[in-house]
Amino acid sequence: MSYLIDEGKNVQHLLMGNEAIVRGALEAGINVAAGYPGTPSSEIIESFSKVAKERNLYVEWSTNEKVATEVAAAASFAGLRSLCVMKQNGVNVASDFLLHLASSGTRGGMLLVSCDDPGALSSVNEGESRLFAKLLEIPLLEPGDFQEAKDIIPWAFDLSERIRNIVMIRSVTRLSHASGNVRFGPLPGTAAHASFTYSGPLLDPDTGPVISMILAAPELQHGPQQEKLKKAAEIFETCPFNTYTGPEAPELLIITSSACSLYSREAVSILGLEERVGILKLATTWPLPQRLLKRHLAAAPKILFVEEVAPTLEDHVKVVAAEAGAEIGVKTFFGKKSGHLPSVGELNPDLVLAALSRICALPYESAPAAFSGAVKALAAQYAPPRGMTFCPGCPHRASYWSIHNALQLDGRNGFVCGDIGCYVMGTLPAGFSTAKTLHAMGSGSGIASGFGKLKQFGMDQPVLSVCGDSTFFHAAMPALTNAIHQRSPFTMVLLDNRGTAMTGFQPHPGSLTNVLGDTVPALDMEKICRAMGAKVEVSDPFDLEKTRQKLNHLVEYAEGAKVLILRQACALSPERRGKKKYEVTVDESRCRGEDCGCNRICTRIFGCPGLIWDREKKVSHVDEIICAGCGVCADICPAGAIIRKEIA
Amino acid sequence: MKHFGANKLDDGVIQAELCIGCGACVDLCPYFRSYRGKTAYLFPCTREEGRCFAYCPKVEVDPDALSRFLFAKPYNGDPLGAWRSIHIARAGARVKRQPFQSGGTVSTLMYFALRSRRIQGAILTGREGLLPVPKLVTRSAEVWRHGLSKYAAAPTLAAMNRAVAAGYEDLGVVATPCQATAVAQMRMNPLQNPSFRDPTALVIGLFCTWALDFRKFEAFLAERVPLRDIVKVDIPPPPASVLEVYLPEGKRTFPLDEIRPLVPNTCGYCLDMTSEFADISVGVLEGRPDLNTLIVRTERGEEIVREAGRQEYLVMEDMPAENREHLEWAAGNKKQRGVRCCTEAGRLNGEAGTACLRLNGEVIERILKNEKNGKESSCHI
Repeated sequence: MSYLIDEGKNVQHLLMGNEAIVRGALEAGINVAAGYPGTPSSEIIESFSKVAKERNLYVEWSTNEKVATEVAAAASFAGLRSLCVMKQNGVNVASDFLLHLASSGTRGGMLLVSCDDPGALSSVNEGESRLFAKLLEIPLLEPGDFQEAKDIIPWAFDLSERIRNIVMIRSVTRLSHASGNVRFGPLPGTAAHASFTYSGPLLDPDTGPVISMILAAPELQHGPQQEKLKKAAEIFETCPFNTYTGPEAPELLIITSSACSLYSREAVSILGLEERVGILKLATTWPLPQRLLKRHLAAAPKILFVEEVAPTLEDHVKVVAAEAGAEIGVKTFFGKKSGHLPSVGELNPDLVLAALSRICALPYESAPAAFSGAVKALAAQYAPPRGMTFCPGCPHRASYWSIHNALQLDGRNGFVCGDIGCYVMGTLPAGFSTAKTLHAMGSGSGIASGFGKLKQFGMDQPVLSVCGDSTFFHAAMPALTNAIHQRSPFTMVLLDNRGTAMTGFQPHPGSLTNVLGDTVPALDMEKICRAMGAKVEVSDPFDLEKTRQKLNHLVEYAEGAKVLILRQACALSPERRGKKKYEVTVDESRCRGEDCGCNRICTRIFGCPGLIWDREKKVSHVDEIICAGCGVCADICPAGAIIRKEIA
Repeated sequence: MKHFGANKLDDGVIQAELCIGCGACVDLCPYFRSYRGKTAYLFPCTREEGRCFAYCPKVEVDPDALSRFLFAKPYNGDPLGAWRSIHIARAGARVKRQPFQSGGTVSTLMYFALRSRRIQGAILTGREGLLPVPKLVTRSAEVWRHGLSKYAAAPTLAAMNRAVAAGYEDLGVVATPCQATAVAQMRMNPLQNPSFRDPTALVIGLFCTWALDFRKFEAFLAERVPLRDIVKVDIPPPPASVLEVYLPEGKRTFPLDEIRPLVPNTCGYCLDMTSEFADISVGVLEGRPDLNTLIVRTERGEEIVREAGRQEYLVMEDMPAENREHLEWAAGNKKQRGVRCCTEAGRLNGEAGTACLRLNGEVIERILKNEKNGKESSCHI
């Protein structure tokens, strides 16, 4: 039994922030959870799935975030409690439906959980999802620590049901992925009954149809939606998760939220400023509790905003301060706009310390300069700079090798439009810098579809896109549909590694089992592409020459959209992990090393981490511990020095 | 002479569109590959010196060094290069009629060289569709399948590099002038590899005024005839001035003026019409489509020609003086054009690593002042 459903009284567990959110939802009696994988959010659905049977939950990895939100909304419409979860980029995908949902309202409590990634540690960008709450006119909550991440969830469900609308929860990487002690509350019973009532009057929120379209006049639907927000703001005035620590009349008031509240506490403590600086930690960051804010603003002459990423609190609080100017007087504001804190990237206690020491005129050095210098010098000596790269045995390295070579041989300056997955590294030397555009999920194929139509303006460069199997279902199918219909002559390379590999091997619509372990119908991408009308070829990316030939053939074949499916499971997949197909060794006597005729193509260009350059002997070696036994490097070696032997 | 590496070759030759795709740099290493008539540089190689650069016939060619190495005499810019004897030739009584071009002299000599075990293998150029494909031929009977002119530039020397890597020795090579230059540079062991051994036993050079860019040629024909049905392509000797494409339903001809735009610029930089750095050079004889011109340049060339004649594989007679004068005139024209073209582009004795050619002032003057030749003003083909 999972510790997440421990029913012991007053027990504490060390939980990741994401697990604390799950436990909170379980204590709130959640019934349905849906999401699309994305770091740092993925553990939420995975944790739900582990207790789904015991807790009578329906859990799914949906095709994309918009569908996940729709699936969770249906549960809400049927009177159940539900939650949809995604990373910050996913909110962009779901936002079209979310705007409609915020207008139609919900029934059973429904939460949108967005796990943001300040600093873009595991993302293409550090997009900020909090601004959606304002745009969608829905309430936003930001838990400040692990206990709160659990406690705020039942409170949010209650709020959702009180105002009959979706409530947004925003976490960040350092909360979702860090761990802390969480004291558990009781779990409710698991009985639940779903039924969708629609027979009441058209605009009746409890018994009528659930429709977002403005049927009569904006005031009949948009008006009530705004009333809900006002009601939330009123509730927020006394929200137990908005806390203040510090003197009654501080010299400086820090207004902060989420993980930044921890950095603020630490910085104030290190500088010993507890008597001079107060910390107002807000959990309810949209709409803002105006009276609470005015009270605190009135007490301090200087205000510092500590938040990630956009100056969201900063902007909104300044509006409150301006409106209350006559009551609270003129304030001096510090934060991102004043340059006291950086406007990009993650914050940390050091950055807050630096800002505080500047504002309070306290000399502070996080580390002596001599020490910092020594650390840097030692790091440079023992930790050489390493670029990001694919794992040993990764099919993407082989795929990009063939794509790169096919385009070089073609010689017409062809290029790849990249997409989202581990294969984003196609933009880097790891993927031989083959990908030349990179944007959102599915965008590679959409952009390629557009490039393909520029022939009338003299563009004759071959255009390819890459797309993972999960990404194909998520957002690339509409792009391929477009390309086929518009006869855009590009080649889509489907990197089918049999799972949503980058985020930890979650199933997708092409998988045979779902997140609950049930056998489900797997959609066949090859048949889909053929049925859509594309010219389709299939190859094993580990067969370099055949793959290259097929690519050149497709690239030269001028008519319409073409698809090459490169099928090979991720080296970390359950199918391949720990199972070597080949034992790979280097015959040192044949290795040409740096001589003319090779110049270390295996370690210098191919770059599999399983290959090591022996600087003393001037030959390559295989690191048998990390070598995944794919055997591809044997085909890279021009001297036949890399030898692969099939393991029986 | 200073040699450079692959990056310089890419900059100075491939990116500068001076590459003719001869294959000299291909398959020596994993970095250069040939595909549909073009040489591709797959990944950057960081070596400061490479065989790729040293073998390339389009950069840092030193005809004087080659001449001294092959013929033990300086390069003086004579239109036909160094030679021992010049003949009219055709296949002899020992050779059955085969589908070769003109007198069949090249195929016959390679056939004889293989049969007499003077060579282990012959590096020839076959074709797949219109695409010229280099081949290592070890059975003498197979020689006849490779006898027709391809007109498009071919990576023939890639097959030679592969044969050498596979351990073949005493190879025979049929080469265009640029390829013969590359082979001569290979034979000099430019990077002084201690285990080097001259892999050739016979280099037969072809006469060439220009070659066609394969991709452009294919595209040109694809717009005009069904590519799959093409039986043979021919450019009959002057004054015809046409390209002939043989199809099942008959022959179609295209004026050479329509074909000339398909000639890569790099051919304009070439000074060599008669494969001056081969053992033997062979071309058509003007006005006699059934005969070849044969130039013997080296001792080993002389030996095989003499034996092939003695054993009636080859029939030869002396070349009439007027034919030789005309050949010298044509070859001299190409030299003048090549020198002007290289000079205009700043690639005659230019910056180290990007100059096509190194010639001393005396030789340049001799070429340009050759009174037999007209005054062509530009380097256009």
